[in-house]
Amino acid sequence: MQHSSPRDGSLRVLLFAGLVEPAGGRTLDIAWSGGTVADLRRALAEARPGLEPLLSRSAIAVSGALAADETRVAAGADVAILPPVSGG
Amino acid sequence: MCPEPAFASRPDAMASPGVALVRRPIDTAGLLRAVASPSAGGNVLFVGTTRGVTDGVGTRSLDYEAHEPLATAALVCLAGEAIARFGLVACAVEHRLGVVAVGESSVGIATSAAHRADAFAAAEWLMARIKREVPIWKCEEGLDGSRRWVHPDIPAAVDGVPPVIAGPPGTRGAAP
Repeated sequence: MQHSSPRDGSLRVLLFAGLVEPAGGRTLDIAWSGGTVADLRRALAEARPGLEPLLSRSAIAVSGALAADETRVAAGADVAILPPVSGG
Repeated sequence: MCPEPAFASRPDAMASPGVALVRRPIDTAGLLRAVASPSAGGNVLFVGTTRGVTDGVGTRSLDYEAHEPLATAALVCLAGEAIARFGLVACAVEHRLGVVAVGESSVGIATSAAHRADAFAAAEWLMARIKREVPIWKCEEGLDGSRRWVHPDIPAAVDGVPPVIAGPPGTRGAAP
């Protein structure tokens, strides 16, 4: 990990509910030079193996919109990991 | 029409007066006032409360959190779709965040329509969509001090496509 600012070569990811404890916090910063949502899933699982298996069942929102696995994620993007919901 | 899941809604959707995430008790009287109208002959109020026992295990409280911008956008979208789909006069929704003790309310839905059948149907439809799609999560706090986040298993779709909630837009199966 050699990133310095959240915008340059890194990504700050928001986490919720059951993902917070295995991530070690509500945000997780990872080194990121760009890639797809699928790449991001792999990078997150590598950075924090404890996120699985819940990570695989989670949706990923990029800039407030649900993103498909082939969606590109730029460094510094606004990313949230949304595990299966349980409101009500 | 809302996308499914509804949290794919535009995050910049304006919160409408009838939809709110709150950190205080659900204002049931306020919800009913919000939907009252001379053209409504049926007014339905659904209130979801924290149950003391789930699957035989004692619960002390539920602790709710949300992705607030996306949850608000999804609620706005669902409320609008409910009005259109069931021909409602109005609907209003509040979901509480934070700790909700046994017997207290976590969610309130009020609907009004010319006749009661549409108001009842819309309240049930809204509750089902909210539970399935709005990015709000509950943590069960047990009488024994345990804490457990609830992440329901969604039946997997065919040919390896991710489950409804987990999947990106366009991967879900048929609507209910």
